[in-house]
Amino acid sequence: MATATTGRGGRGALGLLASNEVGLALLIAVLVAIFATVNPGFTSPFNLFALSRVMGIDMVIGLSMMVVLVTGGLNLAVGSIGVASVMLGGWAMQVAGVPVLPSMTLAVAFGAFLGWINGQLTVRMGVHSFIVTLATMSLFFGAMIVATRAEAFNALPRSFVDLGKLRYGGFVSGMLPLALIVGLGLWLFFNRTSLGREILAAGANPQAAELSGVRVNRTIVVAHALSGALGALAGLMLAARNGAALPSMAGHIGMGWLLPAFLAPVLGGTLLTGGVVSVAGTVLGAAMVTIITNGLLQLQIGEFWVQMCLGLILLAAVLLDRARSVIAERRRSVA
Amino acid sequence: MLKGIWGSDWFGLFVVALVAGTGLALFQPAFLSPFNLYVLLISFSLWALVAMAQMVIIAIGQMNLSVGAIGGLVAISFAGSMEVWGLPVPAAILLGLAIAALCGLLNGVMTHVTGISAFVITLATLSIFKGLNIGITEAQPFYGVPDVVKAFGNARFEGLPHMLIVPVVAIILIWLLFNRMVLGRQMLALGANRHAAELSGIRVGRVVVIAHVISALLAAMAGMLAVARLQLGQPTIGDDWLILSFAAPVIGGAVLAGGHISVIGTCLGVVIVTLINNALVLLGIDPFFVQLFLGGLILIAVGLNRWRERRLAPA
Amino acid sequence: MRVARMLPLAVLAAGIAGPAMASDTKVALVPGGPHPYFAAWENAAAAAAADFGIEAEYRVPAAWELSKQNEMIESLVAQGFNAFLVFPGDANGTNATLEELAAFDIPSAALAGCTVDPTAASFCLGTDVARSAYLGTKELIEAMGGSGRIAHFTGFLVDPNTQLRIEAVEQAVAEAGGGVEIIQVIADIDAPEPADEKINAFLAARGSEVDGIVTTAWVPSVVAATSLRNLGDKRIRMVGIDHDEVVLSAIEDGFVDGTMLQNPYGQGYIGSYAMDLIRQGCTMKEDAPWQQTAQTAHFIDSGTAFVDADQVKDYQAAMVAVTDEIMATFKDDFLVCN
Repeated sequence: MATATTGRGGRGALGLLASNEVGLALLIAVLVAIFATVNPGFTSPFNLFALSRVMGIDMVIGLSMMVVLVTGGLNLAVGSIGVASVMLGGWAMQVAGVPVLPSMTLAVAFGAFLGWINGQLTVRMGVHSFIVTLATMSLFFGAMIVATRAEAFNALPRSFVDLGKLRYGGFVSGMLPLALIVGLGLWLFFNRTSLGREILAAGANPQAAELSGVRVNRTIVVAHALSGALGALAGLMLAARNGAALPSMAGHIGMGWLLPAFLAPVLGGTLLTGGVVSVAGTVLGAAMVTIITNGLLQLQIGEFWVQMCLGLILLAAVLLDRARSVIAERRRSVA
Repeated sequence: MLKGIWGSDWFGLFVVALVAGTGLALFQPAFLSPFNLYVLLISFSLWALVAMAQMVIIAIGQMNLSVGAIGGLVAISFAGSMEVWGLPVPAAILLGLAIAALCGLLNGVMTHVTGISAFVITLATLSIFKGLNIGITEAQPFYGVPDVVKAFGNARFEGLPHMLIVPVVAIILIWLLFNRMVLGRQMLALGANRHAAELSGIRVGRVVVIAHVISALLAAMAGMLAVARLQLGQPTIGDDWLILSFAAPVIGGAVLAGGHISVIGTCLGVVIVTLINNALVLLGIDPFFVQLFLGGLILIAVGLNRWRERRLAPA
Repeated sequence: MRVARMLPLAVLAAGIAGPAMASDTKVALVPGGPHPYFAAWENAAAAAAADFGIEAEYRVPAAWELSKQNEMIESLVAQGFNAFLVFPGDANGTNATLEELAAFDIPSAALAGCTVDPTAASFCLGTDVARSAYLGTKELIEAMGGSGRIAHFTGFLVDPNTQLRIEAVEQAVAEAGGGVEIIQVIADIDAPEPADEKINAFLAARGSEVDGIVTTAWVPSVVAATSLRNLGDKRIRMVGIDHDEVVLSAIEDGFVDGTMLQNPYGQGYIGSYAMDLIRQGCTMKEDAPWQQTAQTAHFIDSGTAFVDADQVKDYQAAMVAVTDEIMATFKDDFLVCN
């Protein structure tokens, strides 16, 4: 599960990113060892189950941001889209009596639609997706709150809530394999399909891509739509885990998802400037974030310092990322 | 001069605000009561500082996501230092400003030295500052705010809150900065065209760092005013500042790429948002509509700005 | 490697949720999020730990979000906690978590707010919030002289109690025979900033139209009391809730007519006691004097009392008396122990 890049010093970049993923995996192993030693409860079946469940959700959130980062843009509205879609799905399941699977499909489709709106606005207004998604973050969340009057859907069908309890081997939540399958799908998308490769090309160098026949605007819209769909999926997973579709599930205006959404791809080596993606890195990055959060929560000093630690990690990650690209530049100019 | 006003950023906004205000006053006479004006001006005081804090950074062509986090951190430090360490009020204020200066320094230096976009840096520092806040307070507010501060938060002369003096002074100073001082012009030049600014001898690093420090100081003032108003050192202060901090400058005509901002426009932007908030309560409309409006307003404002830019852009 | 790894894990699992020996009870008291109401739980936990020889700790999720509460609970299980007293982050959603705890043989109960039946919680020990809001409104109507227009300020919409309170106030008004009207209900303001903003905006816009205010959440009570004092207003009657210093002194000074006390300390203390007994093998009696509420059939009232200017100086005595009364007969009334 390596990476995909286009023309950016091919092998050099490949080598760097590959080492990034291995480094992450090693770091994860070390962290697990430390946490397990300090607190034996860390490796208990209950904790592993809880851990794997949150990990699956965080992975999908990270992947949702990743697909937009590839285009060189951002999606601040990840949380808002996730919550809005799930509230629609919850309404469908609980109030409209639509069966579970169609409701979930509806939610994902709605998320894709909201993402599509983001993409269209970005492209047509010619404005950076930061400000568009900053505005839509508030817009979508506000619309959802008005529509639902901030009431939760907490009488969801049993079959849906039970999805949150799926357990394999006694300690692996069903959410984790789901996230890995999604990750695999995205890897195939970026490595094997022409659309995926077009998105990468457009993200790396929009002018060059346009000249070689790639419809850059289309790639941006597709990426945003995909991001919205993934956000909706993450929301569904979270609702199943929580047993309810709550307007507050992603924090104030959906901002609660921003940190995990950025941390996973950035730790994983997806460049913020676009054009480079690492699905494996994002998945591992999400795993690391979840493990650190879980481990810190169990240390007596943990619970209220978690956010600061994650912020420091993000800072360190972007600094490292920057250092890596500087070194890569130098290497290329010397070679 | 009249033509200058007509064509300026803020004339249209001024008209809108006037019309809205008049409409509200006609519909609900209580709008003009001293108490309601007091309530409006309290909101304005706080939000004007928050909007200025972001506006300064927009001017240099960057973004500061940590505005709210800095405000919150300073707020609890301000309240906490008085409650736990027994610091006298002036010392606590200085401490708050000092903390903010450090935060701004961190933001500015990291952004300039590493070359990483301010958006990313401030996203990370947002979590660090907010995390520090929660770590120190354990999500519980500091209740022991001295009576002097509480009184300041409640004091008013008819409809004018005493705390209004703080944003008024700040607004005047910021206006002077961008319209009369070299530093301000350098900031705008940097925002408009970084490369040209460098070539013309502007010390970019210095300007960037100072801008971030000013931004942080303004956020700190807002945080401390919030403590006075709420009568607590509440850790959640600043949590909902982000959208507003962009909405007001954008409505006021700021160009996000940098190089063009309007102090008066931003203030009018704050006025409009405050009026919307107040209107929702007066008209008995579901207060949940606020976020919807804010988001929509930003889109409309950005759209309008872009349209204007394209019209004015050289062929 | 897989089999060899599974064995110690299985042993660990047994160790974490195994058979109880005397007082290895480690109970966690988990509120829905940071909020001044629950501060008393911390003292109650400490007292229960001392009095019953157990471990009891009060742990707060970082924010008022169900996911954060679930994360906290899961983390506490891994830290060895084997009994949980929880204020439900969501009346229904929390059931999913409590069921998982039950699957690992960990008992739980709802405190200060109830989960909806069917639930894995052994009981719900809390204020009968509907009754409290009802009585408070009745006191307000009496203070207003039997008629007038009132406003109701209440708590988070995610709080399972809020809807119950809204309905209870409506019921009290309906029973007042037509002379009383609710002109506005403002919910979701149980935090300082929204409360300050909305209550002041309301008073500014409609202060002259309203004759009485009933608040059924902690923070709105404090903010409304402060605002009335700042306005120097003694015309508008007010009945609040809980025992914040600000509200109590406003009652003393005549700005507020009274407050409905709840019993957070008693909830924490009695709850911890019950958890310990359950872990030692006791079970809940089917035919105990349960109360039926809109949410659950296993409700135990932790007590409420109206306190006005005459009684405000000695308010704590009232609640301590209620706690003692419940404790005296709790074991016999509600539990079957072998």
